[in-house]
Amino acid sequence: MTAGPPDHRTSRPKDLKAYKPMGLYIHIPFCKKKCNYCDFVSYAGKEDMIDGYIEKLINEIHCSDLGLRISDLNTVFFGGGTPTLLPPKHFENIISTLIRHWKLDIGHSEISIEANPGTADLARLKALRSLGINRLSIGVQSFNDRHLKTLGRIHDSNDIFRFYDDARSAGFENINLDLIFALPGQTLDEWKKDIETAINLKPDHLSTYSLQIEEGTPLWDMTKNERITHYALRVTSEETEAAMFEYAIETLAANGYHHYEISNFSRPGFECRHNLNYWKMGDWLGVGAGAHSHVDGKRWSNTEKIEEYIHGSSPTPHASEQKKEALFMGLRLLEGLPAEKFDGFEAEVEDLMKDGLLENEKGRVKLTRRGLFLGNLVFEKFV
Amino acid sequence: MDIEKIRNFSIIAHIDHGKSTMADRLLEYTGTIEKRQMREQVLDTMDLERERGITIKAQAIRMEYQGYELNLIDTPGHVDFSYEVSRSLAACEGALLLVDASQGIEAQTLANAYLAINHNLVIIPIINKIDLPNAEPEKVLIELKNVFGIDKEDVIMASAKEGIGIAEILDAIIKKVPPPKGSNDAPLQALIFDSHYDVYRGVIAYIRVVNGIMRPGTEIRMMGSGTDYEAIEIGTLKLGLQPKTELGSGEVGYLISGVRNVRESRVGDTVTYSRNPAESALPGYQPIKPMVFCGFYPVNSGDFEHMKDALLKLQLNDAALTYETETSAALGFGFRCGFLGLLHLEIVQERLEREYGLDLVATAPSVVYKIIKTDKSEELIDNPSSFPNPVEIESIEEPFLKLTVFTPSEYVGKIMELSIDKRGEFKGMEYLDPTRVMLTFDIPLSEVISEFHDLLKSCSRGYASMDYEFIGYKPSDLVKMDILLNQEPVDALSIIVHREKAYYKGKLLAEKLKEVLPRHQFEVPIQASIGNKVIARETKPAMRKNVLAKCYGGDITRKRKLLEKQKEGKKRMKRIGSVDVPQEAFMAVLKLGS
Ligand code: SF4
Repeated sequence: MTAGPPDHRTSRPKDLKAYKPMGLYIHIPFCKKKCNYCDFVSYAGKEDMIDGYIEKLINEIHCSDLGLRISDLNTVFFGGGTPTLLPPKHFENIISTLIRHWKLDIGHSEISIEANPGTADLARLKALRSLGINRLSIGVQSFNDRHLKTLGRIHDSNDIFRFYDDARSAGFENINLDLIFALPGQTLDEWKKDIETAINLKPDHLSTYSLQIEEGTPLWDMTKNERITHYALRVTSEETEAAMFEYAIETLAANGYHHYEISNFSRPGFECRHNLNYWKMGDWLGVGAGAHSHVDGKRWSNTEKIEEYIHGSSPTPHASEQKKEALFMGLRLLEGLPAEKFDGFEAEVEDLMKDGLLENEKGRVKLTRRGLFLGNLVFEKFV
Repeated sequence: MDIEKIRNFSIIAHIDHGKSTMADRLLEYTGTIEKRQMREQVLDTMDLERERGITIKAQAIRMEYQGYELNLIDTPGHVDFSYEVSRSLAACEGALLLVDASQGIEAQTLANAYLAINHNLVIIPIINKIDLPNAEPEKVLIELKNVFGIDKEDVIMASAKEGIGIAEILDAIIKKVPPPKGSNDAPLQALIFDSHYDVYRGVIAYIRVVNGIMRPGTEIRMMGSGTDYEAIEIGTLKLGLQPKTELGSGEVGYLISGVRNVRESRVGDTVTYSRNPAESALPGYQPIKPMVFCGFYPVNSGDFEHMKDALLKLQLNDAALTYETETSAALGFGFRCGFLGLLHLEIVQERLEREYGLDLVATAPSVVYKIIKTDKSEELIDNPSSFPNPVEIESIEEPFLKLTVFTPSEYVGKIMELSIDKRGEFKGMEYLDPTRVMLTFDIPLSEVISEFHDLLKSCSRGYASMDYEFIGYKPSDLVKMDILLNQEPVDALSIIVHREKAYYKGKLLAEKLKEVLPRHQFEVPIQASIGNKVIARETKPAMRKNVLAKCYGGDITRKRKLLEKQKEGKKRMKRIGSVDVPQEAFMAVLKLGS
């Protein structure tokens, strides 16, 4: 086959209206080792492809037609995978491309990077910080070494503390910690301890996710596949899971964290701008393998396979129902949405209010406390 | 064809003893089908049969061999269809009795052999699969002697798979099976031993002419139903229909007469001419009586008409299937269907789902109970939800079976335990040889239609086989158990149970339901009750947490898919009152263990 990579200029929507705030997501699909619960687009043992991948990535950024909206870019998010596995020179390349090509204003943008403890030393963290990256999101998941093992994480709790201290020393003033609860065999007390430990570190932002055990992951086999285990690992009961969530909400609020999205808490003013843009259904462009984009009402995604991505393959368009999506995404934010956004869904809203899942507060429709726990019952009305 | 040169015969065997392969080999050996045309087991044509390895519909095929016309009439291999077996045998003068050289005589070997003996058929005993390493033909010879008094010399050793003994079998058919008796001059009497619906041609009846000559273009009468039709086409059966201008006495073939529904040309009925009819019908005709009933309900009420249509179509080809519309407070509009047995039920359900793409809820199968009321009137009831008020009931009778189990002797203890637990009454035990026994029980049909067969297989490591026949109604101490979900009775979950087992089953059922019901926004109490008395209770806790986490880097499609899946899952459940009930709940009743 001699056909070269397809021209991204023609495979992307053209009629882009200029001047809207805009987020850029950059996917780095490399990890040292695949975690037991992981079903993200990430690969272990493909480090030899990093150079080719970055080259392609920069090429994609260059080619993107969205260049015409250069002045609007105000958040960048390096997600993974484990972006901190890459040597800083790659970030330098990418960021300088963004500055040149997209007129990225480092001083006024939120530039986040996901990091895993133990994958970068103080020097590397300093280098990243000096490139203008100003928000660090650390995949802590748990402070309990037993649970970290179950999850198949490459780090232990000591690595976390060291990494956090290094990050602060490197000058990161906006740090998020990712925590996961409802781990197999995890007790409520163990979770309380995780939350308390996290609070003691005084991060600026906290995300708490309940573990989803996905089919096809080792953890699925360890917990749910009767043929492989005899349920050696006990899945957390729904009651415990709810109690854990409840505890996180109460305790984080009591410690001055603002609960602004179902799973997200921050010190006031430290809400993640990049993610807010998703929930508010702004425009974002995703580059890299498996990255998703949403621009001017159209959604598409890149191939998840690194090889295919490097070699060049056209993005896949996704059917999108803007209005409904805006509703179920927007309702994830605790502030909710203006009531008028729900025209055409009055009956659904009324039912959900009767069930105590939604409420109308000063013209905004939002999840109730109960709705926070049973959000899917709300969201499913808008698909 | 000279009647002296006709031989009509069947092959009878226990399931898996090699009947289909034997049929294939005979067809091949006689050149009826060339080897390369041969799909394995040509006679079983329905896919389902192929998959389940059983023959549901009997068929017939004609072979020519050394100047003789040999008609092989296939019989269904399952006890649910024993009436069809008996009609097929009535069309024959001989039967090949096939016994597996390593398995020996099994329950259906015995049941079918007795049917054949009762029809005065000449039996040609064959020990099949003698090529297998674990074959023990000597042992089987002893069993044949002990059970049927068959002499060693009369038994043919064969392997259908390897083509051993085929010539001998064909010779025996010609020499031992008598030609049909019958007269071409007598008024027409032809026995319908099977019929089958064809979309293009209507009903094709498989017939055996007993007396007279059948010709197309004449007016014929089904003596059982008294209706007249025109014989449009007749002929013989090879692989496919071969039209003929006449079928004489003793011959086997088919008849197409514009009948649109197999119920109008019932198996066992006699065909005669409308002018000059025979004086009487051939003996043995029985209208088919379903033994097992259950409700089929479309999951989406909008599918009701589609389901009705599907049942109508299935019935075109299945005279034993009955149905009528039924309304359930819980499930809405559906159908009460009657079947010959549980296998028949499963086959129909599977066809509705697979061939007609229907999502359906099947309620627990029920037998027909005879209720004697205090005013001495009797009522037959096939649906627990229509049970009369207990105060009006003087006594209840239920259908009983004579159950025959063949098993290696080491499993006798376990099988006795199982049967007695299932309210069986032990009747007798006979040794076939020093290692194998035949056990007989009287047992309620209702116990056999749930999971008896599976339990029997598992407690004998697959070695025991069973057969049964209906012996009549006997009084039992039965009660109706209702299930309430969130305080509302769910009629479709009511079952009839023996009083002594009610508490145990109620508890088990409540536990099972707790397992299969999804969580709701509210707590769902699950209660089992008899009359107004709650005998078991469980609670399905309320849903506590159900919310998507993780952002997945702006991947909205993934979120949508998850939500869509959740929504779809709900749609497949049946909403009863305020409770979503999945299909498994209705099946839970079936699997109450022992
Ligand atoms: S670090 Fe994250 S992306 Fe990498 S394998 Fe673990 S869970 Fe997956």
